[in-house]
Amino acid sequence: MRKDLAEFRKQKLVIGSIVAMPIILGVVMPLATFVPIITMIPQNESWDIPGLVELGSLPDDFSVPWTNRTIEERLFTAVVFQHATLRNVNLSNCIIVSCVLEDVIVRDSTITDSSLDGVYLENVTVVRSEGIKLDGRSILSVSSNLFFIRTKPSEIHQVLPMMLNMMLMIFIIVPATLPTIIATYSIVGEKNNRSLEPLLATPTTDGELLAGKIFSSFVPSMGSTFLAFCLGVVLLDVILLPQVGYPLMPNLTWILSIVLLAPTTCLMSVLACVLVSSKVSDVRAAQQLGGFVVMPVVVLMLGVLSGFLFLSPLTVVVFAGLYGCLDIGLFYFVRAVFNREKILTTWK
Amino acid sequence: MISCDGLTKTFGSITAIQDFTLEIPDGCVFGLLGPNGAGKTTTMRMLSCLIQPTSGKAWIDSYDIGNKADVQKIRRMIGLLPEVPGLYETLGAYKNLDFYGQFYGVPKQRREESIKTTLTNLGLWDRRNEPVGGFSKGMKQKIAIARALTHDPKYIFLDEPTASLDPVAAKLVREYILDLKKQGNTILINTHNLSEAERICDSVAVVKNKIVKVGRPKELARGLFARTVSITLQKIPSSLLAETSSLGFVSEAQVNGNQLVLRVKDPERDNPKVISWLIQKGLQVQFVSEEEYSLEDVYLKLIEGEDR
Repeated sequence: MRKDLAEFRKQKLVIGSIVAMPIILGVVMPLATFVPIITMIPQNESWDIPGLVELGSLPDDFSVPWTNRTIEERLFTAVVFQHATLRNVNLSNCIIVSCVLEDVIVRDSTITDSSLDGVYLENVTVVRSEGIKLDGRSILSVSSNLFFIRTKPSEIHQVLPMMLNMMLMIFIIVPATLPTIIATYSIVGEKNNRSLEPLLATPTTDGELLAGKIFSSFVPSMGSTFLAFCLGVVLLDVILLPQVGYPLMPNLTWILSIVLLAPTTCLMSVLACVLVSSKVSDVRAAQQLGGFVVMPVVVLMLGVLSGFLFLSPLTVVVFAGLYGCLDIGLFYFVRAVFNREKILTTWK
Repeated sequence: MISCDGLTKTFGSITAIQDFTLEIPDGCVFGLLGPNGAGKTTTMRMLSCLIQPTSGKAWIDSYDIGNKADVQKIRRMIGLLPEVPGLYETLGAYKNLDFYGQFYGVPKQRREESIKTTLTNLGLWDRRNEPVGGFSKGMKQKIAIARALTHDPKYIFLDEPTASLDPVAAKLVREYILDLKKQGNTILINTHNLSEAERICDSVAVVKNKIVKVGRPKELARGLFARTVSITLQKIPSSLLAETSSLGFVSEAQVNGNQLVLRVKDPERDNPKVISWLIQKGLQVQFVSEEEYSLEDVYLKLIEGEDR
């Protein structure tokens, strides 16, 4: 791996493209597209709570009347709840912090750090909360583990979660596409440069050799993706802060995606490309076939873009687990079919 | 010691090498000679555990090349120079050698010392970080040989070490090989360069998909050609050629100018008799020399014999 990385460091243009690609695709282009849309979100429409100056700075007369209590079957308007359990209540223009909501209807409000079960949401911003059996419309933004049974994204500000999902998908697709050229070149390229024979004559085992090839493609791809991700998160928060009122990113889905899903996706792509590279005797053919390896990721992307899949922490963990298992299987397969003799004697 | 017993490799219907049986003692420089496609590289690759023999066996220091458990040990004992140097051209000479040292598990300190010594000997220490892509072919070849030696192997396999090098570079590489021989390494060389093989090899095998002949270069000629003595006389009488028939040990005689050329079985025994016979006849002998047959003569005779 060190040898490949040392060779790689000499290719300044390649390094530049690997660093630039995730930044352009994952940060610059999405933000250039999304910012004009995001700025169209009306700031005062959704959380028009009388007396509330800004989120996070609660007015004095909105003192906390419902701390650590259970409230059932009531109707509230413009009330702040903290550490309360709300059952069968109807809330509008409220601020709900660290509460448990069960079978509740919430309109024009903000929910933070709460647990939601069977809640109808309309014009609501939900921050760092978890929920199941949710229903509603005009969810302003979602920054955590919310699973909606049915939503009606008809308002312009509802586009935000979808845009963020799309942006997140780019951070999953880019590490899958980025290493294809390097990885497809890894073995067939050495053969073409005639440097493979002395390498194969060393006591390095097939597993060690392949692991080196795999990680020398994986490390730069994931490194540049991670760099772009951090940059994207910071820029997103800077741009969205005036609109949303709090740092939106990174949420759990994004963190799990970059920590679990992106690496497993990248590894799958690298493994498939190394497999191609060890089986094809021509660099161009290897690179052409390498294009196919991103197909499993495209399936995920199509699922997300079509609305069939919503990237929640659960979805991310499930896909990361699936891809991780595929990665392990693929590594053993690549090692099993790696044939030094065939590479040396039949490739020209 | 390298021992081969009936080593055979086929690729589909093509037999690259068949029934390769020989022993190469330790400390010897052994040459494999043969035309292109004679199976020299295939044999070297089998002995380096890069490809598996179709049949037959070979042992490097009692480790079986066909036994998977022995493969790593054998690879550690061998330093291989393939036909093409195959260096990482964007990296410097130091990095090229260092990475291979790491592949062979050479400890860092030993690696650093060994690389410094090697590159200093090659006159490349000051240029150690320059990309080797800019070096001459001879320099690259020397770095490639040095790469094969980073782990101090007992056996060194060199495939066409001087091919495509200019005479000066080839001489440098040859001297380097002779230095390695002095250090006690066992060296196996594949080469087309017969004069080079003659100069540096203790023994050679002429191969053409099988072993045609094995032996020391000079012995090979003796086995193939009758020994010929050339005697230069001040003056040769016209009857002399006919009179040579009285010498029973002379199988063939001819006169070239003032040279009498005789084929004899044992020059060491027969030459004094010929000289006394000539002196008794009152002839004045100016020079006596033995006709030398080069390895090239031997090679051509053997290969032509195989082609027939």
